[in-house]
Order: sequence, then structure tokens, then C-alpha cells
Amino acid sequence: MSGCPVAPPTQRFAQRMTQCVLRGYSVLAFTFLLLPIAIIIPMSFSNQPYLGFPPPGWTLHWYEAVRDQPRWLAATINSFCIGIPTALLAVVFGTLAALGMARGDVRFRKFLLLMVMAPMMLPHVIIAIGLYPTLVDMRLHDSYAAVIVGHTVIGIPLVFITVTASLRSYPASLDLAARTLGAGAWKAFRRVTLPMIWVGIVSGGLLAFATSFDELMLALFLTSPGTETLPRLIWDQLSFALTPALAAVATLILILSMLLQGLAVYLGVRRSVAKRAMP
Amino acid sequence: MSDTKGFAKLQFAGVAKRYGEVVALHPTDLVIQPGEFFALLGPSGSGKTTLLGMAAGFVSPSEGSILVNGQDITRMPPERRNVGMVFQNYSLFPFLTVAANVAFPLEMRRHPKAEIAPRVRQLLAMVRLEHLADRLPAALSGGQQQRVALARAAVYNPSVLLMDEPLGALDKNLREEMQDEIKRFHAEFGATVIYVTHDQQEAAFMADRIAILNHGRIEQAGPQSELYARPNNAFVAGFLGEANLLRVTACAAGEPGSRSVTTQEGLRLVVPQTSRTGQIACIRPADVTLSPAPLCYANTYLGTVVDLVHAADSIRYRVQLNDRCQISVRATSRRCDARFERGQQVYAQWQPEDVLLMDN
Repeated sequence: MSGCPVAPPTQRFAQRMTQCVLRGYSVLAFTFLLLPIAIIIPMSFSNQPYLGFPPPGWTLHWYEAVRDQPRWLAATINSFCIGIPTALLAVVFGTLAALGMARGDVRFRKFLLLMVMAPMMLPHVIIAIGLYPTLVDMRLHDSYAAVIVGHTVIGIPLVFITVTASLRSYPASLDLAARTLGAGAWKAFRRVTLPMIWVGIVSGGLLAFATSFDELMLALFLTSPGTETLPRLIWDQLSFALTPALAAVATLILILSMLLQGLAVYLGVRRSVAKRAMP
Repeated sequence: MSDTKGFAKLQFAGVAKRYGEVVALHPTDLVIQPGEFFALLGPSGSGKTTLLGMAAGFVSPSEGSILVNGQDITRMPPERRNVGMVFQNYSLFPFLTVAANVAFPLEMRRHPKAEIAPRVRQLLAMVRLEHLADRLPAALSGGQQQRVALARAAVYNPSVLLMDEPLGALDKNLREEMQDEIKRFHAEFGATVIYVTHDQQEAAFMADRIAILNHGRIEQAGPQSELYARPNNAFVAGFLGEANLLRVTACAAGEPGSRSVTTQEGLRLVVPQTSRTGQIACIRPADVTLSPAPLCYANTYLGTVVDLVHAADSIRYRVQLNDRCQISVRATSRRCDARFERGQQVYAQWQPEDVLLMDN
């Protein structure tokens, strides 16, 4: 727009119209995407014993029900006990893979890249079918380890992507400079590479945690009653009682997800501000 | 300030690098003397960066070895080699201040804290940046950042200082200023320097000796004056300075004390009796004298000015000698008492010694 300050009035009118239409279209699209999520919140305060919209009256009863039902609390703790180790493992393996692929002298790079990214493209049910009998054989199917292994597999590509992006955001000669200046491989990583890529590592870890926290398919196969996660419990409850308690749980998960998202975005913004200061 | 640790002899003994079928560097021997400022000059892909990477420890040679003061460092990791490296993109650590960047190598070497601060100040003073010690690199100009990089690479008295096109990212005026700065720094600091560049003027201005590389080979190495006066081949003659290159088709003995060669274009050139043989004859544009009437030169040709371009300190003429041969002539202001117009007939002339014979 600023590129053509002397555009004739008709052209300016056309431009403005186009902009209005585009803006309207974007608003509609976002509404369509977000409305189902937004509807969950009022439904969780409904005074009816079933899920419905709009609710005729309001109550906090369903939140109390969730609080008083120990199964929900146990599932929440399970989700954290699975999500946190998953995020840590995915960070270790994903970061190592990204470093190797970005900086290392790797043969068959394209093939390896495909292998690292495969868990993101593959349907989770296929990963689950593959893991289930193996973990049963190893007598791990009743433990946290089973689902942590599964979730780590799908978390690695997420960390790989964010860390690779960080590694590409600065020239490799920075790492080489550290080496010539007397830092061994590990010291160069700790003193130079890590400060350059920690935002990528943390965002990747948050993504891996959030994915594990939301994931249902692997959880169906790989958790037992003792290790069931929140999504799995929601799924079980759905099949016999569609009460607003489910909406209450969903609302709580939504708030947590948004906090994590906000944190990741905040880190990303801080980094891009820092980068703008560094031409 | 001259620290004897700063003087090291660097030796490449038959080093070569192959990536599968691709040869980045053919087997190469090169000795760089203690305290020497040595330039690797060549077009991109000529192998100069490979050679530098081998000295730094980033590239491991497919064969051959690298020695510093006689000690084999071929398999030594970069951090133990005690070399300093200055990169084209500066490669300062963006999250550390200027002073912390310069202190980094000293910390890596576990120098006592009390020694680090004064040493950092001393080096920043040498590159005249003491007043910016607490800034982050992003707040500095390109030239300032490169001076910090120089201080950081030199602060621990590396045995060899490697520079990979350090001025490539700077604009022309700043580049010339930094050339002076680096030369002054070298004179004061006295380290052995390998300086990679593709700019022949920069190499000629800064280096004690130059190696000209092409297609993964050193074509010729020596002081700039020698490369200019006695180029081994057409590539060296053309890369270092301007050259009219003519293909030789026949040699014949001439008058006593001289010989002559005939070129593809049908010119008969008188050359000194003592000169070597070769397939290419080179005449430097600056060695040709133009005059309206013939002077007393052994090589004198009547030609026509077909084009001329005024440069800051000289005029460049294109002179047609016969229907197959045009040559460039550079007349410096001092020598061009007479000026010539397009289409004017002139005598182009030069001495037998001005004809350099060389391989193709």
C-alpha cells in the first residue's frame, strides 16, 4: 500500500474492498475453528446432568465432582508422570539427532531425515500396534515405561524440528570458532551451541510434553488401569456417561495447554526480538 | 610485545583432500616461514579454504601431514592446535560482550582471572576498541566486529593466525582501512599468518609471499614481485595483474643476443636470448609504450586505437595490431604525454624483456 502512494482512487477502493473481504473471511475461518473449543467452557458450568448447549442454568457442581473423584486426580498425576519424562527423553534424542544432522558429516542424510521424521507422518495406531506386543514380551506393558517409550517416539521429531531451526538460525562457524579458541567438543557445546539453541530445545520439550498430554491412541494401547492418562480416562468416561464433568476436565486441560502455548510463543518472541537486535 | 611463541613454522607435506570422486586439493607441499604473512589466493573452489581448514583442524586430509615447528598436528583436534582463526562472518559470540568474547579463549585455557582482564584490555587497545569493551557484538559495525575477532584470535598468542577472507563482507573503503589495520597488527604482533582471499590486490598489498591456487593445486608460490615478473603459466599471469596473453606457434633464432617467437595471431615477438621457452607469451598492458612515431624498441607495431577508457590514474587503450590481434595498453598519467583518439594510428612498442614466456 505504501509502495504506491499515488494510486488512482478507483484502484484504492478496490484494494480496500479486497482487504475487507479477506479480513471478514479470516474472522469466519477462525470462528469456525475455535467455536467447538469455546463451547466446552460454558457447557462445563451447566446445571443439567448431560452435555448440552446452551445450558439453561449455571453451577460449579461438575468441577466439584471432578475434584472429589480420585480417578481424575490419579489420571492427572499419571499424565504428568508420563509427559515430563517423555519431554526430557525427546529433548535428549531430538537434540542429538538435530546436532548430528545439521553439523555432522553424515552419510545417507536424506534417508536418516526421513527416519527421524517418520513417527510424525505415520498414524499413531501403527506405532501402537508395533509397540504393544514388543512391550508385552518385555513385561513392560503395565508400567509407565511402555507409554513413555511410545510418546518419546512421537516427541523426538518435534524437538528435532525446533532444534534444527535454531541451529540454522546462526552460522556453523560460531561452533568452529569456539573449537579453535580452545574449547573441546563438550565445552564448545555448553558454552556456545547451547546458549544459541536453548530456546529451540525448550520449545521442543514443551511441544513434546503437550503432545504426550493430549495423546489418546498410544495411551489406549500402552496404558493399563494403573497408568491411564487423562485423555484415556475421558475416552472411557465418554462411553458410559456424557456428563458436564467431561467438559470441566476438558476446560482444565485447555487452560494448561494454553499456558504452555503462551510460554512457547513468549520464548519465540523474545528470541526474535533478540535477533532483530543482532543483524 | 614480540612473543617468541608467536613465531611458528607451518608445513604442509603432501596434503590432499578428496570427497569421494571430487578432488578438493591435489597433493600439496608448502612451507610457511616463522613470522611470515602468507596469502592463499585463488578463485572460489580452488582449494584455498580446504588448505586453511586443514591448518585449523576442521578438515582432515585424505593423505599427507601438517607440521608446526616440526611437530605433526595432522590428527590433533582444533582446540589443542593453538591456532587462531578469523572468519569472514566474524563469528563473535552474540550473547557475550566484546570483552567476554576476547576473554573466552583465555578462560578455555584456564588462565588465572587476574591475568585475563589486563590481557583483554591490552588486545582491545591494539585494535583500538577499549571504549567498546562492554558492548554486545550486535551494537558494533562490521569493521569493529572484525577487529574484535582479530583480538580474540590473537589474545592467546596462537602459533599460527588463520584468516578466511576476513574483509570479504566489508565495503571497499572500510576494507582498505582494515588492510592497514591488519598489517599494522601483524607488524606489532609478529605472528605467522595465513590469509585466504580472492582479491589479488589485497594479497599483493598485505602478503610477504602469495600462493596462487586453481582447481585444487598451487600454480605458483612466491613474493608478489616474482609472481608478477616471472609467472609460471597463463593462469598466474592473468590472475595477478593484467596480461595480454598470446599463443606461441613457432620459435626462431634472431639477431645476435635475441630470439624471436611467432604467435598464433601472426605477430613476431623479439624475446631475450636467455628467456625460457613456453607456449604462451604475456605482455603486461603497463609495459607497452604508445607513440605517434616509432621509437627505438625491438618490438614495434603500427596499430589503430579502437577503444579507450579513462581510469583514475591511467588510460586504458585497446589497440588493434592486425586483423587477428587486439591488445590492451595501460598508459599511466606520467607516460601518456601524448593522448590518442579513437581511430588514430599509433605505434605500440615494448622491449624484449617485456615479453614473458610461460606454460599454458
